[in-house]
Amino acid sequence: MSSIFVNMWPESLLVIVGCVLLLFGTAKTPAARRISPILALGSLIAIFVIEMWGTRSSEVKAVTDSILVYKFQDYIKLISAGAGILLVLLAWPTNSDATGNPALQFGHEAGEFFGLMMLSIAGIFFVASANDIILLFMGIELASIPTYIMVSISRPLPVAQEAGVKYFFLGAMAAAVMLFGFSYIYGTTGQTNLDLIGKAIQLNFPGHEWQLLGVVVLLIGLGFKIAAVPLHAYAGDVYQGAATPVTAFLAFVPKTTGFVAIIKVLFYVSQVGEVHWILPDEIAKFLWVIAVLTMFVGNVLGLLQHNVKRVLAYSSIAHSGYMLVGVTALVTATGQPEVQRAALAGVLFYLASYAIMNSGAFGILMLLPSRDTHVSTFVSLSPDQPNRLTSSGTSAETFEDLAGQGRKHPGLGIAMAICCWSLTGLPLTIGFFGKFFLIKPALQAASANSEISSRMTWLVVLLVINAAISAAYYLKIIATMFLRPEPTPFAGATQPEPESNPRPWPILAGVAISVIGTLAFGVYFPWTDKLWDRTLHADIRGPQAPTTQAVVAAR
Amino acid sequence: MPEANNYLLPMLLIVPLLGAVVGAFIHNGPHARHWALMISVITFAVSVVLGFQFYHGASLEFFPVGYEIQSLGFGLHLRLDAVSLWLAILTTFLTPLAIAFSFDSIRDREREYYAWMNALLLTMLGVFVAGDVLLFYVFFELTLVPMFFIIGIWGGPQRRYAAAKFFLFTFTGSVFTLAAAIYVGVHAGTFAIFDTIDADGHLRIGAVTFAQQNLSQTERWWVLLGFLAGFAVKVPLFPVHTWLPLAHTEAPTAGSVILAGVMLKLGTYGLFRLAVPIGLLSSAGLAFPGLVQVVGVFCVIGVIYAALVAWVQPDIKKLVAYSSVSHLGFCVLGLFALNDIGMQGSVLYMINHGLSTGAMFLVIGMIYDRYHTRDINELSGLTRRMPILGFFFVFFVMASIGLPGLNGFWSEFLTILGAFTSPYLGPAFGMFAALGIILGAVYMLHMTARVMFGPLKVPTVEAHGHASEEHAGSNVLAYERHAPPPHPGDINRWEIALLTPIALAIVVLGVKPGLVTDRMLGPIQAIRMPLINNPSPSAGNDASQKQVVARATQN
Repeated sequence: MSSIFVNMWPESLLVIVGCVLLLFGTAKTPAARRISPILALGSLIAIFVIEMWGTRSSEVKAVTDSILVYKFQDYIKLISAGAGILLVLLAWPTNSDATGNPALQFGHEAGEFFGLMMLSIAGIFFVASANDIILLFMGIELASIPTYIMVSISRPLPVAQEAGVKYFFLGAMAAAVMLFGFSYIYGTTGQTNLDLIGKAIQLNFPGHEWQLLGVVVLLIGLGFKIAAVPLHAYAGDVYQGAATPVTAFLAFVPKTTGFVAIIKVLFYVSQVGEVHWILPDEIAKFLWVIAVLTMFVGNVLGLLQHNVKRVLAYSSIAHSGYMLVGVTALVTATGQPEVQRAALAGVLFYLASYAIMNSGAFGILMLLPSRDTHVSTFVSLSPDQPNRLTSSGTSAETFEDLAGQGRKHPGLGIAMAICCWSLTGLPLTIGFFGKFFLIKPALQAASANSEISSRMTWLVVLLVINAAISAAYYLKIIATMFLRPEPTPFAGATQPEPESNPRPWPILAGVAISVIGTLAFGVYFPWTDKLWDRTLHADIRGPQAPTTQAVVAAR
Repeated sequence: MPEANNYLLPMLLIVPLLGAVVGAFIHNGPHARHWALMISVITFAVSVVLGFQFYHGASLEFFPVGYEIQSLGFGLHLRLDAVSLWLAILTTFLTPLAIAFSFDSIRDREREYYAWMNALLLTMLGVFVAGDVLLFYVFFELTLVPMFFIIGIWGGPQRRYAAAKFFLFTFTGSVFTLAAAIYVGVHAGTFAIFDTIDADGHLRIGAVTFAQQNLSQTERWWVLLGFLAGFAVKVPLFPVHTWLPLAHTEAPTAGSVILAGVMLKLGTYGLFRLAVPIGLLSSAGLAFPGLVQVVGVFCVIGVIYAALVAWVQPDIKKLVAYSSVSHLGFCVLGLFALNDIGMQGSVLYMINHGLSTGAMFLVIGMIYDRYHTRDINELSGLTRRMPILGFFFVFFVMASIGLPGLNGFWSEFLTILGAFTSPYLGPAFGMFAALGIILGAVYMLHMTARVMFGPLKVPTVEAHGHASEEHAGSNVLAYERHAPPPHPGDINRWEIALLTPIALAIVVLGVKPGLVTDRMLGPIQAIRMPLINNPSPSAGNDASQKQVVARATQN
């Protein structure tokens, strides 16, 4: 029993800290509110440091038959903890009574807020280590349900409530679809353990259309988490409605959960004998179509937006599309283990790079003032909760807000330019290598045979077209900041010029880490090489899986 | 093959990098200007020393061990040959002049301006010294960033539109180049352009050799299209040239000088270095004869069409911008002639066009600073008031239209001769291109006659610039607001000192083009090697071509 807690200490730590922080929420004193983020940050740093420099799982640690920890799981925990550190820093309470920060307004619920954050990240950990579809589903829900609450409590605005409710109902529906898919797999194999499912499943043989249907339905359910088209519709409203740090959280956590789950499910259901990643061509074609749609819809809708958070929301959809290109290459390159390894690594690398550069962009939005003083839009929800949003909750949101800010605050302007260029995929940033490592295996898969070859070449061509489309709106952000003058107030307008937002150190630190990371991994190749090497060796399970074998034998 | 690294070569990149980084923190005003000028002059000195080393037989290669992504075969591999050396010298020669010219005309945000100029110098040199396809792409793409800001901040009334159009056009083209580069690099297992000999004495073939030997015809076709997409936009070739007139016209004078003088050559150099050897040639000779003719047709259309459009331009700067489109048509036509003469003429054209068009933009900038107009209808008889400027103006016009004895003659002669004698293009192409020379003389002389001669007519200039049409009232254009007050005298000593070096270079290259072309035959024939090994049936007149080259280069 003790080995569970030893091998699953990151999950355990986060769940315990999460529960403790929920209890902290009952204490309504500023001291409790101030200590909550410190606890959260400390536990994430501990996990990050130990996963980074501590002992690596060189052998499979199948703790029970429903938990399996190996390099893939370690890597996911590493990047989730790393992104979690950035996200906690962005959400750090900085008001005098610790009820919020420039963009976020959690009132008395600081403890709950950070507790939910910890539980949500623990959800990713569970998804990564689950070796059983029940635990996998629970992990997905553990990652998702706290985010519904976080969206709603992040600021006392009707738009945030609407976003939370919308997100919840659609998320619940997606969970139902997912369970429906699981039920087919369970029903046709009679197993819930992923290893045993892998042995029992007959996806590649005729007469097992029910299993295929189950996998497709499952992919659709998970597609909601990564905001894949046509399940993307919530993203714009939810991202815009939530407070900016929560939006940054939404851009990372559900996406990572979704991709980890997709990779794991596909890994197990594609098992033939001892070989993985053998899938019927229909699934590859299905993913191809979804990837193309997701890229195009995300980017084209991103072009049309006026609200920067919405732009980043649609760009987040597009980035899911890019990663789906990697997944498509993964399932297309049947019989080329090296290419498949590179494709998986490309997706994992992109998850890390997206977390780094995107958190930076959201952090900078928080540090820039909004021109809208929220007099008309911000409605106090209850009489005993006075509207404090005149002094906080003024993160920049529209292009108007950004106009001229690059000149006024050169440091923030340059930081935003770096993040946006990285998201575009310009060289010397991590975003360039992210795209690079996605394109590379897709092109290698192309040489398999001529039909697949032309299909994958087209996919890469469509990807680079999308990179060009995305350049238009990222460039618009940069151009607005540097080239447009600050809008002058209308004659006779009574509203005062927006003051500069305060620059609390935790947020600055978060932005600084993101920007330095974005540049460092793009410029200092040995680091890039190291990260790439780590993703390249992130095997989901090693050649040997002793405990599970024993479990199988015991049955 | 080199025994040792040439440690002067990286200085070509380190000096401007230092200049840009330090320059960004220097005080505004004289310090910033002088620092930038000093840096660019030092860079020029480095390139000249490298030139001397090269002509005394030293190898110009730099290949540090350890700074690379080993799994990709991608590293910091720098290399200069006769072609890229001369283009690098052109770059370092024009940049100090452009910076020195800006002393008077840029009065706004000087520190940033000069930092961007040095960054631009760095990235352009990077393209020429790159010995690695991916490194080439990295620098090729990064040139967009400084130029985007130089046009967007210090440009004319439509600067924001021009900057965005410039960025998006070139970025869209070059993402396809990236896909093609990755395809070649991934399949070759290395991104090195050239064959190298590693420490153990084994030959490691580079991307070019690999592609020529191993790519299938279909693969080569796609790779070629990818390269063409990026480079044709940058050159720009006829149907995708529409960004150029706008960007040239809206850029500040120094920006136009660099744009026309060097940045367009990045496109032709890319065609020369990558598109032709990797995509167009295979080890069995010319892979796509039909495509050569199609490109040739577009070149000829571009030559004539742009000349006709230039003829009717009322704006001098726009006229010269269209003349660039026309001239670059010659340059690419010579390149795609794929014989020694044509390709030598093409490379010579790159240098000559950089000199004469760069000089034209400088002179036009001087006129603009005095009268704040570039409208041909508002100016007349300027030689009466400014004889020295008139002399330089007419001199550069003569160089531009190819007066024998000045540099433009040789390159036009060689490119047309190349097209005429090419087994792949033929006399028709040469004939129609020659029509472009006549048209070039027509529009240039037409403009010169009206602006420089006839009765004196100059506009009455208001004391300070005009208000912007875009944002009436509040936002006076940066360019005009800070332009020096008009001083309608002749050019001063400083300006003469800027124009004289270019004029001297034009005369030197006019009487002794062999200075540049002598050593170029080696690299050009290295690129043409597949054609030399597999002469096409109609290429019987190779011997006579060599005689002409010998004659031409003896001068």
